[in-house]
Amino acid sequence: MAGMSPSERRLQKELMSLIKEPPPGVSVDTNIAEQNLLHWVIHMEGAAGTLYEGERFQLQFKFSNKYPFDSPEVTFIGNNIPVHPHVYSNGHICLSILTDDWSPALSVQSVCLSIVSMLSSCKEKQRPPDNTFYVKTCNKNPKKTKWWYHDDSV
Amino acid sequence: MGDEAQTTSTTVSKEITSQPNQDELILAQQRQIEKEISDSTTLVGELEPISSLNNEYSSDEVYLDKVKDLGEKYKFIRRTRPDGNCFFRAFSYANIERLLSKKEDYNEFYRISEESKDVLVSLGFQQFTVEDFYDTYMEVLKKLKNIENLDEAHKELHTTFNEQGFSDYMVVYLRLLTSGQLQKDQDFYSCFIEGDRTVTDFCHQEVEPMYKESDHIHIIAACAALNTGVRVIYMDRGTEKSCTAHDLPEGCSPTVHLLYRPGHYDILYL
Repeated sequence: MAGMSPSERRLQKELMSLIKEPPPGVSVDTNIAEQNLLHWVIHMEGAAGTLYEGERFQLQFKFSNKYPFDSPEVTFIGNNIPVHPHVYSNGHICLSILTDDWSPALSVQSVCLSIVSMLSSCKEKQRPPDNTFYVKTCNKNPKKTKWWYHDDSV
Repeated sequence: MGDEAQTTSTTVSKEITSQPNQDELILAQQRQIEKEISDSTTLVGELEPISSLNNEYSSDEVYLDKVKDLGEKYKFIRRTRPDGNCFFRAFSYANIERLLSKKEDYNEFYRISEESKDVLVSLGFQQFTVEDFYDTYMEVLKKLKNIENLDEAHKELHTTFNEQGFSDYMVVYLRLLTSGQLQKDQDFYSCFIEGDRTVTDFCHQEVEPMYKESDHIHIIAACAALNTGVRVIYMDRGTEKSCTAHDLPEGCSPTVHLLYRPGHYDILYL
């Protein structure tokens, strides 16, 4: 791994570990990640016994060269954006570890696990109450939103 | 996002989209402030006489009295960048610095540090994220261990802590060690955490993320993790003429001395 920057080294390690031991229902698109280590697409399946059972989602991860000090930019992409009180219809996710509570000790894997668990604890499929307003006015990059985390129960 | 009304009419949203996005303005201002701080202060500064503090408080009697009092007890101050990591950076630096001249203690510290990765992994930290920071941390400790000349070792320490790449890795690893300590002794530490957060929640939200400021509980756990004690000298707007000293943990013989002014820690030298 000579000649790699610290962030690339770290991402390479994470990619290997995610390919070798993916969490249940999670798989990384290796073609895309190997072309550009700073851009990953991850396939995610709704967990059995939850409202999302049988659904398939795609998550996009974008990393800066300051990763893991900077959090990754994570959004749902594709034609199936989960209907969930913390997921906007443009794919943006309101999840504190993606901004304020990000720590360099977290990883792609821990972010995926948090998102699976966020989906799994959902009791009723619905969009956030401010979806229409937010999607019209927000920046393309969800990290440029000043999020207010108001409900930890779903 | 807050709970803005769902019934956004087109007229309202048109008005809003024609104005700059508030969130972006707030974040841009935050970035600007951070940039000003990083342009004007090194991560860890040179030794300066205590009297250099007078410049900051030239017309403030309360503080001037306290600087005078501080000058009677301490010779020098070493400033750190106020970026929310100042306690961890100051403590890590000052602790390694004092160990450089005590070969045996340094070796013991090195030995405990070597074992720390396995301890963290056994507490549930992910192997490869811990490894990332552990490897750099040990690389720095090893390099310093092998420098025979004390002056050169001091210089190397100073250079290392001013290179963001290394310095931030040292900060993260001490944050992880502190988090590990809190989680290992969670029965004890849970009494000090307000609200209904668990010790693990607290670690995830207030200890492990970069730039989150440190409180007593961080300091006590960090001291336990590095097996040493700290004296914190408090300098604030209180009307008494002298600064107050707190030894953490209580009753210890402190090896590292820090100056606390609301929101910030610098290193002090006897």
